[in-house]
Amino acid sequence: MTHSFSELVVGDVLLAPFVAYAVAALVVFLIHRPILRLLDFAKLFSHPSIAELSVYVTILGVLTVFF
Amino acid sequence: MSVTTALAPRHFAGLPFSSWAFGIRVWIAVVVALYAGFWLELESPLSAAITVGILAVPTRGQALEKAGFRFLGTVIGVVASIVLIGSLSQARDLFLLVFAAWVGLCVYVACLSDGFRAYGAVLSGYTMALVAIQMIDTPGRVFDFGMQRGAAIALGIAAIAVVNDLLVAPDRHLGLATQLAALHRQVRDHAKTVIRGEATDAAATANLLRETTALRSEITSLAAESSSGPTRRAAARSTAVALVAELHAARVLKALPADMDLAIRARMSTALEEGGDERSLPDNATAALTWAFRELLRCDQDVREGLAALRSGVPPARMWRTPFYVSHRLAAEAGVRAALWLALASTFFVLAGWSAAEASLVQLTAFIGLGVITPNPRAFTVGALIAAPIAAILAGVLDFVILDGATEFPLLALALAPFMIGAAVLTTLPNQVFAGIGRLNLIFILVIAGLSNPQTYNPQMFLEASLFVCLAPALLLAAQLLIPPISDERRRQQLMASARREFDQLSSGPAQRYAPEEAMFRDAARIGKLTGAGVPGPQNLVILEDALTLFDQAALIRMCDASLRRLMGGPVATLADQARRALGRRDVQSIRQAASDIRQAAPEDERTRATSDALEVASLIMEEKRP
Repeated sequence: MTHSFSELVVGDVLLAPFVAYAVAALVVFLIHRPILRLLDFAKLFSHPSIAELSVYVTILGVLTVFF
Repeated sequence: MSVTTALAPRHFAGLPFSSWAFGIRVWIAVVVALYAGFWLELESPLSAAITVGILAVPTRGQALEKAGFRFLGTVIGVVASIVLIGSLSQARDLFLLVFAAWVGLCVYVACLSDGFRAYGAVLSGYTMALVAIQMIDTPGRVFDFGMQRGAAIALGIAAIAVVNDLLVAPDRHLGLATQLAALHRQVRDHAKTVIRGEATDAAATANLLRETTALRSEITSLAAESSSGPTRRAAARSTAVALVAELHAARVLKALPADMDLAIRARMSTALEEGGDERSLPDNATAALTWAFRELLRCDQDVREGLAALRSGVPPARMWRTPFYVSHRLAAEAGVRAALWLALASTFFVLAGWSAAEASLVQLTAFIGLGVITPNPRAFTVGALIAAPIAAILAGVLDFVILDGATEFPLLALALAPFMIGAAVLTTLPNQVFAGIGRLNLIFILVIAGLSNPQTYNPQMFLEASLFVCLAPALLLAAQLLIPPISDERRRQQLMASARREFDQLSSGPAQRYAPEEAMFRDAARIGKLTGAGVPGPQNLVILEDALTLFDQAALIRMCDASLRRLMGGPVATLADQARRALGRRDVQSIRQAASDIRQAAPEDERTRATSDALEVASLIMEEKRP
């Protein structure tokens, strides 16, 4: 069962709920970036860019499911 | 013994694989952006594809940084457009006047920045053209149009970011470390030439300073690259600053009198190469020579540590900023000129009375903005004038020969491949003319082809779009012939005047804003601008010599001042204060006397001795040549 998604309204313009989740996930990801740096996250992977994209997608998925 | 083998980059059709990979990434991102734009039924899916074309830079960090400034610039431009439309949509003349003033203001701000920050500023300017001018007859839709444009840009950014991530676009820090290491080799060679007592060239020195400081904007973009980006950025900054300081130390060494035999010179060169210390100097070497050589070795060590930190992603030992020299006067002059060019062009369009002329005005505003952030705005306009007809022909071939009425998306994606890959590959060529044409074609082809869902294949619309895209640079060139951009001569005069003014004001106020090495980098950036302004000639060489003399002496005065400030609370505070006053007056005899007094007051203290030696060096350098 999925929960309902409320639409974001900016000046009478309806935005898809996904936009709000995508922006929120980006904010959460950027806040956590210094922590990733302290943990030397980039050195754990051969392709850090894909690893960081995966972290973003994970955060986005978690936000979409639970909020 | 270890043997390292450097693999030469593999080539295909005379170009490295990395260039082809970049072209393919751009093509895929354009197709993804277009597909998503069609699927989401955006009003202008083409803007998403154009965003990809604009953000087509070979490395991830640069693309992300440019994307950030593109988004921010768009938001500011849209807000300004709403304000302008809301307040002046009924007063057309005033509307155009305020629009020209806004573009001038954005150009002024752009000239006070560098890299993608400057791009973001000019984008704010021409976003007003895109939004307010296009919506001038339907002001009620301006907010909706702005939102649509924002959505298309966000989509384009997401497309290029995801494609770059998944297709593992290269990181900039590897290339940057190689570039900095190459510059380090050149600076060291320069220092060894000085040690051997051979002549050095002022133009070559200025060129080294220009190449080092020109990396500033690329260093800034390292932060966006990955989670270790900010650390690498700090390391790269420290390396660049230390490189400038090393070059300064070599110049100081050159200016000091030295009577040494070849064996000692060879020992000094080896010490520099192998990270030795000043013990390679003979026992009878003067204190000034020892200080200068120690400085050279210290800076070289800083560069090596910085490079190691950049490669390994660990924080550097020293955290230096890379301040950037800006000239408010030159920026204001560029802003006024941009506003006048736009006013002239607007007048022409108003008099011509074309109903669809706003499309050309939009292009023209973009050319003005993008041109002023290049070293030569008129050359940029000429490049656009060459690239526009080429793009029109290519877009015509795409629309009416290859696609020719096709409506299936896979066919569009395949048809775009040679144009997008070809243009993107051109941008990677070392030849700046071809690279510029490639960059402009990447955007123009998409603009003129006018991709939409469904595609109309209307020849009249195509011809109109081609005409206006070609007309914009032609009109701008005419405006730039009437009101020429800032001349190299004027730029040189302003830069030298500001260097002299700052030199005269040195050491007379409170604590300096920057550390001596950081201020050295800022001065080097000004010399870099001076080198970039004009072809080297005998007169320019004299100006460069003057600029380098000011650079040497200003750096030494700042270093002495910083050392003296550290002595202010101690037992030689009075002497330090006297020395500072002598420095402020540029009184060579008093500086030398102060150096001697400070040394005698505390001969055993390492810090005091170093300060005294620095003062001695400053007096010798200031005596040798007066700026």
